[in-house]
Amino acid sequence: MAVARADRLTFTYPDADTPALCDVSLELEPGEVVAVLGPSGSGKSTLLRAFAGLVPHFHGGRFEGRVEIAGLDTRSVRPSELAGTVASVFQDPEEQIVLSRVIREVAFGLENIGTASDEILVRAHEALAAVGSAHLADRAVAELSGGELQRVCLASAVALRPKLLLLDEPTSQLDPAAADAFLEHVVGLGIAVLVSDHRLQRILEHADRVLFLEAGRVRLDAAVPAAEDWLGQNRPIWLGGSGNGRAEPDRGESMCRLEGVRFAYSAGLPVVDGVDLELRRGEIVALGGANGTGKTTIAKLAAGLLKPDAGTAELRGRAAMLLQDPSRYCIRERADEEVAIGVRGDRRRALGALAALGLAGMESRHPRDLSTGERERLALASVLVIDPDVLVLDEPTRGVDPQRKAELAKLLRAGSEHRATLVVTHDEEFVRVVADRSITLGLEALLV
Amino acid sequence: MRPGAAVALLAALAAAALLAQHLAAVAVVALLLFAVCLRAPADRRRFYLVGTLVSAGALFVLTPFIETIGSHPIWTGPIVPVLGQIDITHEELTSAGVNALRLAAVGFAFAAYALLLDHDALLQAVRFARPAALATRMMPTLERDAAGFLEALRGRGVEVNGIRGRAVLLSPLLASALERGLNLAEAMEARGYGRAGRTSIPRPRWRVRDSIVVAVAAAIVAAGALWL
Repeated sequence: MAVARADRLTFTYPDADTPALCDVSLELEPGEVVAVLGPSGSGKSTLLRAFAGLVPHFHGGRFEGRVEIAGLDTRSVRPSELAGTVASVFQDPEEQIVLSRVIREVAFGLENIGTASDEILVRAHEALAAVGSAHLADRAVAELSGGELQRVCLASAVALRPKLLLLDEPTSQLDPAAADAFLEHVVGLGIAVLVSDHRLQRILEHADRVLFLEAGRVRLDAAVPAAEDWLGQNRPIWLGGSGNGRAEPDRGESMCRLEGVRFAYSAGLPVVDGVDLELRRGEIVALGGANGTGKTTIAKLAAGLLKPDAGTAELRGRAAMLLQDPSRYCIRERADEEVAIGVRGDRRRALGALAALGLAGMESRHPRDLSTGERERLALASVLVIDPDVLVLDEPTRGVDPQRKAELAKLLRAGSEHRATLVVTHDEEFVRVVADRSITLGLEALLV
Repeated sequence: MRPGAAVALLAALAAAALLAQHLAAVAVVALLLFAVCLRAPADRRRFYLVGTLVSAGALFVLTPFIETIGSHPIWTGPIVPVLGQIDITHEELTSAGVNALRLAAVGFAFAAYALLLDHDALLQAVRFARPAALATRMMPTLERDAAGFLEALRGRGVEVNGIRGRAVLLSPLLASALERGLNLAEAMEARGYGRAGRTSIPRPRWRVRDSIVVAVAAAIVAAGALWL
């Protein structure tokens, strides 16, 4: 018997003209791992929220069709009543953490669903151990890295022993090894899982079935081998590129040089120590490595946002840096004004940058009214408009679908001869497509 | 010490500072609370301590110009339309000192609450305090948001200086907090918050020591009202 079932589900958000989901039917069997793929805005997150009952209860809107979880109709049962049968892990762990200590955070859901008092801590510790995070139990959540937070969120969900686990981009902040370990934990739970992720190769290795959404409609619902064939024939870009196709770049003058750099955020241990890095005009360098190895710190040192405690950091020309979180680029109330901040209000240049990122026509929109994918592009436009000599991008493909990723790679390559570019990323597929040179922290530098 | 007892003690010290009349007594309470705040990590306590000291300092500077009390002038200034003669008296300075120290004591008590207490345990003990405790937990998040906005601007070559420059961040910070609040509410509902039949992890027992602390807190308030 199916754990979860959607029957001809159509849903339109309040004030939206077109439905976010259209005539979607789907069944999930116990133990089945289903990967939900599709471009940004195709309805993946909405589908996950429908299975959690948050659509329509939390968001409102027009709901047609039927969604059942373990025989319960989500229209007549509130999301809080479904908790325990269903558990969700959303994209941004910072926005789902309620309490300040890890063990209490994991216990929060168990308390809500009425678990016997003497069982709560036992189950919370078991859940942390199941996701390889038993050592975090007594830590403050404020001290954890993004990757550790994502595991705490998974533990909080797993502790409920749900029949259906909903994961929305759960590995977006994890390095490749941690992401693999995370998904292996999930698969090992033996429960039905609906997981949305843009890093296709990794998710296909762990999924049984693929659901491909476009404009809210199901284009494909098939087992993984058949799905790979379909993607190869119909959406080849989703199966990844084969290198950047460029000859050895014409490396120009040195634009940024770090020598023996050391940096610590407070009186504690240095985050980076003895780091050497050179960026030359014309090349795109990818910087990777495990969570917590100091990639973002090096990026900020290269962009001049941080000054080293020891060693030298030389920067020639103007530098610009794109931060990981696109919501940091929501300061003004219009998209064009936001982009124009970096060019002293030059609206003409701002409009050009918006158009180059596919945001023409959205000039007057409030940045917070844009979708996640659009916000990512707005942030990038806000940085590219400066036309910097040194461009530093921190995780620019987080939450970006393969189509947009390919467009981003093309955009970066198009202007790369005029500047030095450093891309900090966990995204191996993107590195293969965009980078001339790749450095993995803690390992010997490797030319791609 | 149970967080409930610790909250009672902090609240009592703040109340005593507000009730006490003597400059020295208020100063002792403020210094005591300041010393407690120093137990917090330096990078976290800086925001709270600087904010409290700046506010108290501003109150100390402004009060003598606003109040008109006392008959022992220390300085006599010009006559200003509407306000009349500007002067500073010994009594005004004393009053300014007491008020500034009261404000500092309340600020330090809040800082100690925000920085040092186990809010999770407090949530468990005092259910109705949940929104306040959640709001307190958002303070570090707001600090991080503000730093993130400034960093994003610096990453575009824009330096923000002074209070006026930072004031432009108030609106995006508010919007950011509202958006975050909505997302958190959604996540909480998905985790069963608000459902009937809630249980909780076993609470640590209330000890004699906690009762003594609450009694001391009551005594501090009484002393503040009657003798200090």
